[in-house]
Amino acid sequence: MEREGPVLETLTRRLAETPEDFLAEPRIGAAGRVRTAAVVGDLLRALGAAATPGDLQRFSGADARADRNRLSVTLVLCWLLADEWFVRAAPPAGLLLPLLGAQAAELADQSPAGKFVTDPDRREELARVALTRLGYRPAGETKAQAQDRLTTLSSAERARVLRAARAAEQRAREIREALIKKAAEESADKWGRE
Amino acid sequence: MSVDGNPAALHLDRLAPDDGEITDADRYPTLTEHGRRMLDFLLQHPHAPLYRNRSGNRLTAEEVEQVRAFEREVQSAAAGWRPGETPPWLDGFVDRCFAETPFYRRYGTRPRDFTDLPTISRADLGRDVAAFVPDGVPTERLINFRTSGTTGHPMLLASLPPVAASYLAFYKRALRRFGVELTHGRGEVGVVLVGCQRTCFTYVSVTPAMDESGLAKINLHPNDWRDPADRARYLDALGPEIYTGDPLSFAALAELPLATRPRALISTSMALQPPLRARLEERFGCPVLDLYSMNEAGPVAVFDPAEDGHVLLQHRMYVEILDDAGRPVPPGERGEVTLTGGFNPCLPLLRYRTGDQAALRVVAGREPVLLGLEGRPPVRFRTARGEWLNNIEVTHALRPFALAQWTLHQSADGALRFRFRGDAVRVDAIADTLRGMFGADRPIDIGEDDFEEGKVVQYTSDLPEARP
Repeated sequence: MEREGPVLETLTRRLAETPEDFLAEPRIGAAGRVRTAAVVGDLLRALGAAATPGDLQRFSGADARADRNRLSVTLVLCWLLADEWFVRAAPPAGLLLPLLGAQAAELADQSPAGKFVTDPDRREELARVALTRLGYRPAGETKAQAQDRLTTLSSAERARVLRAARAAEQRAREIREALIKKAAEESADKWGRE
Repeated sequence: MSVDGNPAALHLDRLAPDDGEITDADRYPTLTEHGRRMLDFLLQHPHAPLYRNRSGNRLTAEEVEQVRAFEREVQSAAAGWRPGETPPWLDGFVDRCFAETPFYRRYGTRPRDFTDLPTISRADLGRDVAAFVPDGVPTERLINFRTSGTTGHPMLLASLPPVAASYLAFYKRALRRFGVELTHGRGEVGVVLVGCQRTCFTYVSVTPAMDESGLAKINLHPNDWRDPADRARYLDALGPEIYTGDPLSFAALAELPLATRPRALISTSMALQPPLRARLEERFGCPVLDLYSMNEAGPVAVFDPAEDGHVLLQHRMYVEILDDAGRPVPPGERGEVTLTGGFNPCLPLLRYRTGDQAALRVVAGREPVLLGLEGRPPVRFRTARGEWLNNIEVTHALRPFALAQWTLHQSADGALRFRFRGDAVRVDAIADTLRGMFGADRPIDIGEDDFEEGKVVQYTSDLPEARP
């Protein structure tokens, strides 16, 4: 956050205009269209950073149910980072790979990837997270201002996610208890048996 | 049989309660005097079996109307979609899954293409079925169904009383294909569910949507009767319009000296082979329906000889055939039957891989048909010549025999063990057939089995290459 980066709105606008190719289904196994590892590799080359095959391995995914959302966030980030400003800034692979990997996974735990394109707050959060992880702040903001705004956005989202997770766990517990309570082998008539 | 006009006191307390908290008011919320008389008749008949359990329809008056409305919808709606397309309701269904169901919500953003959706399997349901119950479903009305777990994944599935009651709508739809319209109502017995196992869940109930016609779930095993001869006497006294059961229990039913005739038999749980179906049709003088049904999805399809396959029954069920990697196979090719949709609001299925194999025929304006349906994943068997035979070839080869059930297992040394149940079966002819397929010098152990434990895995092998 030491260095001044681009105007934030240029990045959020870019996110709002994410092309279809970057929103397409990540290829996992035999399903999906976009090979995320290849897109990440292309991005790194465009930014002048080098990646080994080992670096790219985590962008292949193994289980669509567990990996598709994080890889979708990675793809949206790839589109964002392909902006001319980042090409000129040429951030190093040592910063890019954690952003595209672990940070994308963390964001994916909180929101569906599509929200980082359609929801204004999530767009702003993604743009600010990307700048921060690469050591920049939005143009025209002090370090303190940038930090405050990102904290506000992220903590509000984290709190929402936490509340939702608690509510979901409570409901799942109620469902399990209701099923166990009625654990007779059959608890309503059917005309046939499977 | 008619019990109306013959009122008798209820003696439900003859039964040991399964659950101290559940009362008859919970089991039969809309029970009238006619229904009480029916329950009493079923329980108190001098030749009645030893009913071991209790169950009820649990339907409130509002839910009975809901069930009736759903039945009308099922009778009038067309099942199916146009070749190369998906049904019009599918898009909204997927949206709701992503919005309301915790398991699917975790997928993230909905993919644009339906075929990019991940598939799920029985193991996912077994891991935590609560995650498949959508947000709005009230927990106080939940009921559960247990599955047998023969595939290694026993499950407790969430459901609701109207879902259980709605099976009848699909049975009626299936029966209509065979020209049978159910008419039994007040004072008559609509259905007897027959089992034939060492232990079996048995009870009596009434069906409110059929004007409280009687329902009895019985076990034909002699252990459940004071006198084995009571079985025929009791069933003749009931004179049910329909029997439902599996091929094994129907084979046992066919042995009884019944004087009454049902209007149809509905076979579920396991594949019904054509010779046994023909024998049952001749014995009972009525259509015998082979239903493809599972706890996860209810009645999916019914075998229609005119179509040479299982015709889909549900108007809000989309069926795909997928390869091992989860890709749709070309039209007409065999693969895994995969289901989306269903009528259980507690378990919306999104690309549920059933483990069953078939091809699918979709023709515009007609119900889709599953061709060559085979339960369980395919297993290959190695012949003495080192060739591999798919289990469907074994099924085809054994089709001429009137087998109620069989299993085939191949040991690591290649030896085969064949167990079967069936009447008037020529063991030497089966042995010739198997030797013809596997080679004369392949050791084959053939024997009868009563399969009293119920469902079994039909084809198994110790050879590591057996699962193609």
